[in-house]
Amino acid sequence: MLTFVVRRLLLAVPVLLGVVFVVMLTIDLLPGDAVTLMLGEHATKDAVAALREHLGLDKPFAVRYLDYVTLLARGDLGRSIQQNRPVARELADAWPATLQLTVAALLIAAGVGIVAGIVSAVWPNSVFDAIARLASLFGLSMPIFWTGLVLIVVFSLWLNWLPVGGAGSLSHLVLPAVTLALPSVAMVSRMTRSAVLDVLGEDYVRTARAKGVGEPWVLGKHALRNAFIPILTLLGLQSGQLMGGAVLTETVFAWPGLGRLMVKAIFARDYVLLQGAVLVFALAFVVINLLVDLSYGLLDPRVGRQG
Amino acid sequence: MRAFPSRLLIGLLVLGLAATLVPSADAQKRGGTLTIVRPTDPVSLDPNLETTAPGAWVYFNMLEGLLTLDDKMQVKPALAASYEVMSPTKVRFKLRPGVKFHDGTPFNAEAVKFTFDRALNGKPPARWASLAGSLSGAEVVDNLTVDVVTKEPYGPILRTLAMYCMGIVSPTAVSKMGPDFSRAPVGTGPFRFVEWKTNTHVIIERNPDYWGDKALVDRVIFKVVPEEGARMIALQTGDADMVLFPSPAQLPALRRDPKFTVHETTGIRVVFAGLHAGMPPLDDVRVRQALLHAVDRKAILDNIMEGSAGPALGVLAPGVFGYKDMQLDRLYPFDRAKAKALLAQAGFAPGPDGIMQKGGQRLSLSWLTARGRYPKDGEITEAIQAMFKEVGVEARVQVLEWAAVFQQVRANPLNHHMFTLGWVTSNADADYSLYALFHSKQVPPTGWNTSRYANARVDTLVEQARRSLNQTEREKLYAEVQDIVAKEMVWIPVYTTKEIVATRAGVKGFQVHPVEYNLALWKTWVDR
Repeated sequence: MLTFVVRRLLLAVPVLLGVVFVVMLTIDLLPGDAVTLMLGEHATKDAVAALREHLGLDKPFAVRYLDYVTLLARGDLGRSIQQNRPVARELADAWPATLQLTVAALLIAAGVGIVAGIVSAVWPNSVFDAIARLASLFGLSMPIFWTGLVLIVVFSLWLNWLPVGGAGSLSHLVLPAVTLALPSVAMVSRMTRSAVLDVLGEDYVRTARAKGVGEPWVLGKHALRNAFIPILTLLGLQSGQLMGGAVLTETVFAWPGLGRLMVKAIFARDYVLLQGAVLVFALAFVVINLLVDLSYGLLDPRVGRQG
Repeated sequence: MRAFPSRLLIGLLVLGLAATLVPSADAQKRGGTLTIVRPTDPVSLDPNLETTAPGAWVYFNMLEGLLTLDDKMQVKPALAASYEVMSPTKVRFKLRPGVKFHDGTPFNAEAVKFTFDRALNGKPPARWASLAGSLSGAEVVDNLTVDVVTKEPYGPILRTLAMYCMGIVSPTAVSKMGPDFSRAPVGTGPFRFVEWKTNTHVIIERNPDYWGDKALVDRVIFKVVPEEGARMIALQTGDADMVLFPSPAQLPALRRDPKFTVHETTGIRVVFAGLHAGMPPLDDVRVRQALLHAVDRKAILDNIMEGSAGPALGVLAPGVFGYKDMQLDRLYPFDRAKAKALLAQAGFAPGPDGIMQKGGQRLSLSWLTARGRYPKDGEITEAIQAMFKEVGVEARVQVLEWAAVFQQVRANPLNHHMFTLGWVTSNADADYSLYALFHSKQVPPTGWNTSRYANARVDTLVEQARRSLNQTEREKLYAEVQDIVAKEMVWIPVYTTKEIVATRAGVKGFQVHPVEYNLALWKTWVDR
């Protein structure tokens, strides 16, 4: 078990190195550079050259990549180009907000999605099922920035129940979390529905029913436990999706998280800051995938023994 | 005897009238919080690291320079009590006595010298060093007297010192706080720093020990709301009292609604279609003039800008020192017949496809523009393209991302006939634009003479005006420059930007400034 975890974590190293390379190359290939954007249109040629040199941006790409990786190896994320602040501090300021938002959205997605999915599966083709399917179609199709604005108009402008944006109290979290969760709720409910329906058609469920086990017990003990494996995989994938969606949600709701930090870094062509943020996301992906893999073992004893 | 009562009556009337016109001090309400929403978080709150609006809006209320620009764009003393020009490279300032920084240390000549040294000799130099021209530093004469010196005679020195980013900082705080100073600056202004939560808000509060009229509100919160729609909703729900960069589409509705006030004034940026005077056929002044006659600038203002911009009256905006109305509407009225006649004089005749040609060469111009860098830049380019077609001129418009346009326009040689650009006279002095844009030696990458305009007389005049510290003389020299440039236009000026701020109707005493960075909040109060 421990060797499995360690091996997986070591495998993450080349992944992260690759991520750094791709991010750095992308920023390098984009037209426009950090210094011109920092100094503005009126900067003199000399001023631009001096600042480029000061920031080490005049060095060739390969040198900058090696410099950055060496820095990383020492556990230093560097200083942001634009603000000259330690990137670690910028990330420390921003990531709790994103974590809060993602976890809240994940809880909503899991809670609402699974319950709706089970109800739909137990009473397939009922009125509830029809409504749930229509709602999930809606949830999947609507872009986050649009649903976000509509929710703001309804709950902030018309009803005046919730704040327009920003962070602070629990009431600030409601709208962004719901907005972010909507597409995932839809995905999870559909997946749960089909997984539970599949399992309910299995022989062992029929056997359980035949030997007189009560329906709640059939559902809870026999059906759900087995249906949970694909649902869990999906939730793992969705948490990655949610972090990506946080970029948009954070922008609409002025939520001070990593997504906003990344957008800012991209506009400023601040590759040091951007890399720090991307690394946090990449690391989160690696950890989530690991957790999902480990949890298979808990749900299905057959999986654990292979690790 | 009878004269006396009537005079008394008039006197009383005048007094009464004055009382109704001038809001009495009692009408102002002290206290409360002013909440402002704007699209982005500052880069820094230190002018050395940030000269763009998100930071400037905040630090302009905390840091003061020696001089400042009032709403009418006149230079007014701030931390300086008076000044005297000692020599063409030296201006002596008497400093205001008894002023203290927010950290309690005294403001003095040493602080002025420290601020300039830190900015100009720092590694790297301050972001604003490029804007400061020949400014080389300050010399302490005595505790409250300081000489500001320039490398060479530099006429725009006063307006340079009055720029929003020239605030004097507390030397003690800078050395004590190190790099943290840029997130919590210490100056002498009417507000002082409280808190900055990245991407959430910056809070500043009234400086109770301010030397001048103290700010009316207790505190100001600058919130970040990146989404335009969400900003406007925040204003409507009352979550915000003021919106910077309000949505242009919603302004007509806000103007009609008594719950809101739209504050606006003419800005200092001119957006124009530039002409490359070094590239045939635009090297022929008649062709350039024809293009000016071909453009219906009023139609663009009315139908595309829809009240969100003012007319461009010349190459400078009206608030800039040295500005002269170029009378473009009189010199180049919208007149297609005139345009065609000028093209005919230049030897062009309509070809088989309706496009003018000369010696088999079609009058076809390549035109570089970004979309979204300046308000409606893409739209105005397309409109002018269509107007050109009416007089037989083809424009091949190429739309690129701003960073790419910037790179090409700064290149030498420039491979396009035309380019859509905006130019802001950052220090509000004509030198900044007329020298960098029209001096023949200021071709990129040195300066911004992207039009490759060359006129020996203009060169002499702008050099002379730059070296003179006699402002009346300078104004006259710049007037002559603009008269010459008007006859040989290398721009089609399209509009002058407007600075627009929307507030709830309860926000009183606020005055929007032509320079967008000068967001003065100390006279603003909130009537709830």
